[in-house]
Amino acid sequence: MKGRDSAWLVVMALCLLFMVGPLVLVVLFSFGANTLIGFPMGGLTFSWYGKLVADEAFRDAARISLVVASSVAVLSTITGTLAAFALGRAQPKWARPVLATVSLPVLLPPLVVAIAIVVLVVRGLGLRLGLPVVILGHVLVTQPFVILIVMARLASFGTASVEAARDLGATRWQAFRLVTLPQISSAIIGAALISAAISLDDFIIASFTIGGGNTLSTFVWGKLRTTLDPSINAIATILLLSTIGMSVLALRLARYRG
Amino acid sequence: MTVRRDAWFLAPALAIVIVMLLAPMVLLLVISFWSVRSFKLQPDFTFSAWERFFVNYGGLTLYTLLIGIVTAVLCVAVGMAFAYAVRFKAGRYGDALVMATMITLFGGYLVKIYAWKSILGADGLLNQALMKLGILDAPAPWLLYSRGAVIVTLMHFLLPFAILPLYAALRNVQVATLEAARDLGATPTQTFWRVVVPQCRAGLFAAFAFIFLLAAGDYVTPLLIGGTSGSMLGQFIALEFSTRFNWPAGAAMSFGLLSASLLVLAAGFMIVRRRPA
Repeated sequence: MKGRDSAWLVVMALCLLFMVGPLVLVVLFSFGANTLIGFPMGGLTFSWYGKLVADEAFRDAARISLVVASSVAVLSTITGTLAAFALGRAQPKWARPVLATVSLPVLLPPLVVAIAIVVLVVRGLGLRLGLPVVILGHVLVTQPFVILIVMARLASFGTASVEAARDLGATRWQAFRLVTLPQISSAIIGAALISAAISLDDFIIASFTIGGGNTLSTFVWGKLRTTLDPSINAIATILLLSTIGMSVLALRLARYRG
Repeated sequence: MTVRRDAWFLAPALAIVIVMLLAPMVLLLVISFWSVRSFKLQPDFTFSAWERFFVNYGGLTLYTLLIGIVTAVLCVAVGMAFAYAVRFKAGRYGDALVMATMITLFGGYLVKIYAWKSILGADGLLNQALMKLGILDAPAPWLLYSRGAVIVTLMHFLLPFAILPLYAALRNVQVATLEAARDLGATPTQTFWRVVVPQCRAGLFAAFAFIFLLAAGDYVTPLLIGGTSGSMLGQFIALEFSTRFNWPAGAAMSFGLLSASLLVLAAGFMIVRRRPA
């Protein structure tokens, strides 16, 4: 019995090592003086970060990523929260197919979604690619997450308190603002952060629909493809820590468990 | 009244799905029947792009599906072992382990692929370690740019997508039923296959389907990790849109890949359903 339990411990440890280990390596080597990943890693240094901050192309990419991720967070939180309200109230026979349709983009390969968008924008509508296309493409992928998170929160506190407020004379808007919103606001902020994290992390949709310029992801891609520039570790760390940091914060706020 | 208002609430989200997904997919399908003359897209009704897909890329499509299936099966197996351990063996550390899984979910797609390139490369960590230990005399080039490397990398970023639905499914399996099975004389293996697995069937299939679709549709991993022996169809779809400017070919290949993937899932669904509870 004891041996069996320690076998399970090994399974858990190995899985954890497999999932987290490679990421830890990248972070670790971003502070190493040597140019490539490999031991010994050389002395501790922040010079790769210094070089990045001095690089104008990096600063542009960071600025564009910030604009895209925050726009995506705001827009998908609005569309997703509104949809969650409607779907939470609707009969299951209506809600289920609508939810499936809205979640479809998550199931399709991002490559196919990206090229389909390019085809419509360029050929179908005769418009130019650019940041608005990137932002709408990201909203497409992030709004199902907002819907699921907000719906789960709405379901968990029920309708009794809202009905009580209405019976006590609150208008529909007052009931929403004073009763519903305070209870779901942390879930909404969590959903916004998840959306920003997904947007920041996306490479495929951004690279096809951006037209010109770079987000942080496409900037990393450029470095990956051309040289083994050691500042890759530093920018990868920035990207990793910001997406993971937002996820941690979001999961705490949304009180999401499993 | 409320129905009409709810329809307005749904309108923005649905409008985005229609404009950014449904309309583009319809146009992509239409374009797969168009033709290209001297790098210009021409409205047409021809099957030449589809013919090209079947003749030139039929084998690669099957191989891509196979990589997807292998990755999904491995992820589901490893993910099930991990989720089972977290649910029934980890005790109070369970929550922390789920949290660790979840935080790797939404970030670092490119970073993860890059990390494996550094680990498996010719002067990467694994080669260095194997040479230090005296197992290898010279760096083994086959660690990177191979099918195995592609599958390991795909598994790395898709494993959390297996663990979370499986853990959610396992939370509905009561400890009492496992104890009942044991008290009635079932071995742990029998309990797992005949009590736990049947209750998690929907979660197992969902995890398989999701990972299979994303693995079979990925093109960045084979591009950076796969070399020539590990190529997948997605790379060639991307190529038609980025440098070759043959949109009909890329469109036909996209829908070919999607339809073939759906066939695999339909077959998987039949197998899951037919198995007695």
